[in-house]
Amino acid sequence: MIDPTLAEGLKRRASLGDTTVLRSAELKSVFEELKRLSGEERAEHGQAANKLRTEITELLMNAQSEEAQLPAIDITAPFDINVPSGQRPSLLSSTQSSQHPLTTELEKVIDIFYRMGFTAVESREIDDDFHMFGSLNFPEGHPARDDYDTFMTTQTDTDGKPFIAPAHTSTMQHRFLKAHKADLESGNPVAAVIPGRVFRNEDLDARHEHTFYQLEGIYVDKGIHAGHLIATLKTFLQEYYGKELEVRTQPFYFPFTEPSFEFSLSCPFCDKQGCNICSQSGWIELLGCGLIHPNVLEMAGIDSNVYTGFAWGGGIERLVMMKYGIEDIRHFESGKLDFLRQFS
Amino acid sequence: MKISINTSENISQLSSPGVDSNSNSAELIDKIGAQLGAVEEVIPFGDKFNGVILVKIVSCEKHPQADKLNICWIDDGGKAENIERNEDGHIQVVCGAPNARAGLTVAWLPPGSTVPETVGKEPFVLGARELRGVVSNGMLASAKELALGDSHDGILEISEEVAPGTSFIEAYNLQGDLILDIENKMFTHRPDCFGFMGVAREIAGIQGIAFTSPEWYTPQPELPALEADELNLSVSNEIPDLVPRFSAIVLSDITVKPSPTWLQVELAKIGSRSINNIVDYTNYFMQLSGQPLHAYDYDKVAACSNDRPVIMVRKPHPDEKVTLLNGKVVEPRSEAILIATDKQAIGIGGVMGGADTEVDANTTRIIIESANFDMYSIRRTSMASGLFTDAVTRFNKGQSPLQTLAVLARIVDEIRNHADGKVASKLIDDNHLSADILERQSVHAPVVVTAQFINERLGFELGAEQMQSILQNVEFNVAIQDTALTITPPFWRTDIELREDIVEEIGRLYGFDKLPLALPQHSISPTVRNPLLDLKTALRKALSKAGANEMLTYSFVHGNLLEKVGQQQNHAFKISNALSPDLQYYRLSVMPSLLDKVHGNLKAGHNKFALYELGKSHAVEQIDSEGLPVEQEQLAVVLAADKKVASSIPGAPFYYARHYAGAILKDLGQGNNVSFRQVIEQQNLPPYFAPDRSAGIFSGEVQLGFIGEFTAAVRSKLKLPDFCAGFEIDSQRLLELSADATYQPGSRFPTITQDFTLKVSSELPYAVLFSFIENYLTDKNMVETNFTLSPKDIFQKSDDTEHKQITLRLGIGSNERTLTDKEVSELINEAVRAATQSFGADQI
Repeated sequence: MIDPTLAEGLKRRASLGDTTVLRSAELKSVFEELKRLSGEERAEHGQAANKLRTEITELLMNAQSEEAQLPAIDITAPFDINVPSGQRPSLLSSTQSSQHPLTTELEKVIDIFYRMGFTAVESREIDDDFHMFGSLNFPEGHPARDDYDTFMTTQTDTDGKPFIAPAHTSTMQHRFLKAHKADLESGNPVAAVIPGRVFRNEDLDARHEHTFYQLEGIYVDKGIHAGHLIATLKTFLQEYYGKELEVRTQPFYFPFTEPSFEFSLSCPFCDKQGCNICSQSGWIELLGCGLIHPNVLEMAGIDSNVYTGFAWGGGIERLVMMKYGIEDIRHFESGKLDFLRQFS
Repeated sequence: MKISINTSENISQLSSPGVDSNSNSAELIDKIGAQLGAVEEVIPFGDKFNGVILVKIVSCEKHPQADKLNICWIDDGGKAENIERNEDGHIQVVCGAPNARAGLTVAWLPPGSTVPETVGKEPFVLGARELRGVVSNGMLASAKELALGDSHDGILEISEEVAPGTSFIEAYNLQGDLILDIENKMFTHRPDCFGFMGVAREIAGIQGIAFTSPEWYTPQPELPALEADELNLSVSNEIPDLVPRFSAIVLSDITVKPSPTWLQVELAKIGSRSINNIVDYTNYFMQLSGQPLHAYDYDKVAACSNDRPVIMVRKPHPDEKVTLLNGKVVEPRSEAILIATDKQAIGIGGVMGGADTEVDANTTRIIIESANFDMYSIRRTSMASGLFTDAVTRFNKGQSPLQTLAVLARIVDEIRNHADGKVASKLIDDNHLSADILERQSVHAPVVVTAQFINERLGFELGAEQMQSILQNVEFNVAIQDTALTITPPFWRTDIELREDIVEEIGRLYGFDKLPLALPQHSISPTVRNPLLDLKTALRKALSKAGANEMLTYSFVHGNLLEKVGQQQNHAFKISNALSPDLQYYRLSVMPSLLDKVHGNLKAGHNKFALYELGKSHAVEQIDSEGLPVEQEQLAVVLAADKKVASSIPGAPFYYARHYAGAILKDLGQGNNVSFRQVIEQQNLPPYFAPDRSAGIFSGEVQLGFIGEFTAAVRSKLKLPDFCAGFEIDSQRLLELSADATYQPGSRFPTITQDFTLKVSSELPYAVLFSFIENYLTDKNMVETNFTLSPKDIFQKSDDTEHKQITLRLGIGSNERTLTDKEVSELINEAVRAATQSFGADQI
């Protein structure tokens, strides 16, 4: 048991900003006491002593803060009193500016898709189970959900389910399809790219981030087939890399596309000769894609007998890392100017 | 999913082009990648056994010089060349294995061969060498040296009858064999491809070759009649919804022993450890068919039962525990599928068997179970108890309930023929499948689809017959009427329900590499650009012009950061499964994330910078009409300089931030409308801004955000430098205001510029005086004049802090004539007089 009077005294000194209190004999005596005690008593006393020290530190900090509080200024003025005209606020030199390489690349990618007739809409950073899974043909409890290690919130939505940190930008598919159903019926295709931040509950290392950027694309119209999908992606990539490329697919499984593919392109950095970027294979596996599953269309009220469409989704970090030879994905969100200022 | 190419070939009875030799296998592997699923790894297997020869030990005698060594003479059928032989043509090998004896067939590693276990690691090449004075030509191999298992206790006894001199590769069909590891994800909806047979069928299908399943693989096989004394076993299934089928049979007189060599080789191919013949058979037939099997020791089940042996399939009782094969005691979740006797739990159905009824070396009577379990239940149980077994991997994909008997019959056959088993019970088949399924022997109803429907989605021009043949290769039943195909999937396929599933099947088997590449056609109506994205791009441009650095930081923050900046954790969305406390909360605003990066960058030697981020923030109180959290789009900017740089910057950092905000907003077309006003409702000010040194940012009457220096507490807790200020802007609101820059034609007549200074109380806000003068001049409304009023100086004498002097500059011109200096002076005098009356200002 710490003597309450002693504790109060220490706290009072701290609240007055007396910095010597942390080194005081009184506080030391509280910790000295520990040596005399054993077992449960010792543990209890130890906790109490630590708590007291934390409280004192807090009080000291607050007291110091108050001291450091600066006088009020006239916030309506354009510059401070008595500042000579040559030394008034100015902007920094634009030569030290930089734009984040991920946003630069996204702008570039979106620009190409604009030119190809796609509009763009950003994905949400917090969403519900329905848009993450349900609307995308992932039944409740389906093993396909295991491939998405989603973060969830303790707070719940109106269905009593946790909110979800989206693990893919496909969360926007249902919304976008529903919102543009009328366009479709008046003869215009649904064509959009969806950039956004996504989250996976993964341990960090040089190649894995829990936070990263994806770009999703969807295209729906009458008579759309799988060949349109491959041609669209190939056209985009050739524009992006400014050269002729080969592409290939591997069958894959996603609940929200049927058929589904993994899409690869011939390595644009070595023209299939084999280099470090493509791990000497000549090919780069880039994204997942497929024809939109009829259940996804139907859920958005679109008649899958009449309309078909395709969708794809891929990461942006990969593009940027390959382009600049960035070795560690963790640089992107590190907030380090040493990294950022290399991208003006 | 691992599969050996040779095993696949053996199952399909096909020797397809490009499979036989290593040199051509690349072609097939590419095809598998393109039409079945990504091949993650190709592991050479067969070549390890180059040079290994099966031989017979003709004599085995103690080594005269060493107790533990034997001298064996072996018969290699005369196969080995350049080797010393005795008059009978036999070869001498010294062997230390306790089980070495005459009559055994064993694997011999002749001189010059490499120990298979060491291939690909540090190759060990054998020679002829003397062991205690006796020459040993190579060695006789244990399972470990052959890379078939861990057993090093003795040499591997080959169980098959083979002629001495047969090569190991020939005996076990290992010529050029490769193991392919195909990505599992591709098979999420293909439970059949979690068996070698399913993969072999696909490999035939993608090569355009018809596959025929082995005869035993049929939904209604015949099981042998009772052939030993009948043993009692009753099965009761209380949860038919979760266990639609539970098939089982009892076998007696079995001999538990090491597995036959071929089986050890098959298991080694996929990296599975051989345990004993019974356990290995259950494992192998699961690997073959995808249908997990389980063997119980019948006598142990009987001992665990009250009276007569009984197996009950039910949910666990509260607090019920089960000891599993891996030795762990587990309390399954309350909805798990429990396998029990009438006394105790003996396993978790479809996940893992129990230790109490495990088959061991002394077992003579077994129960073999071949059941079907609900995939969702298995998945949840597996996740809840952290048990991930081969059975779980298969059951959670949803195995077909129509194959339990086929696989049961097959393993019974094997155990009868190779482990002395005798059928000792009637077939138990607790079957709850619907009449429909049983009648058509297919899990889903037939799919009716036209060739046109399929071609439209693939861009192909295949005929109905072509499609029929593609599907028949993988054993679909296809009837054609006109152009419509009626397709009944085979009994093992659980994934074919929709016409689109047929599209995938045909596209894949025919080859997606043949898709016709064409861009979609659409009208030339312009693409709708996204205004918010455009605004963000414009902001980035403006900030770049101003020398700022864009930063991206996590959307999740540590609870401590919220606390440090005075935000309350209970307003923030909390992550329930965060990786670490660093990522526990959704951020309530972007600014704290930036402030958190200031100190580190100063320490890294950057002495003056402006950081910004365009991000989203959320708060639990803000929910939109659809019940989703409102996403607030924010621009946050922070300016900082280290002590040294700051010492040369006079004035409060607030004004720097203000200057920045003004410049950015001017670039966005808000120039003349922007004002900075005292925050009236202090509770709206974000807690990290110092109330006496912060302001609201307005465009017209719309508040866009806040600007200011930071509280002393925030500065000290985040180690911010003295020179630090920032602002945040609601980008969505800015978007609603977005305007183009305005243009004023210049005056044809000269502009007159005059400065004037007013002395006012130091309490009077600058903007009040400025607006007063500006409004006065506007109201005055002189004929066709344009004027600009700008601040020139704000000055305070050190001996009079009660007052300050504000110097303003007026530039004025008319579009109609040249104004005179006098006119302008008089105008200014009028304005000043008005100011004197209102604020007691003195003109200096």
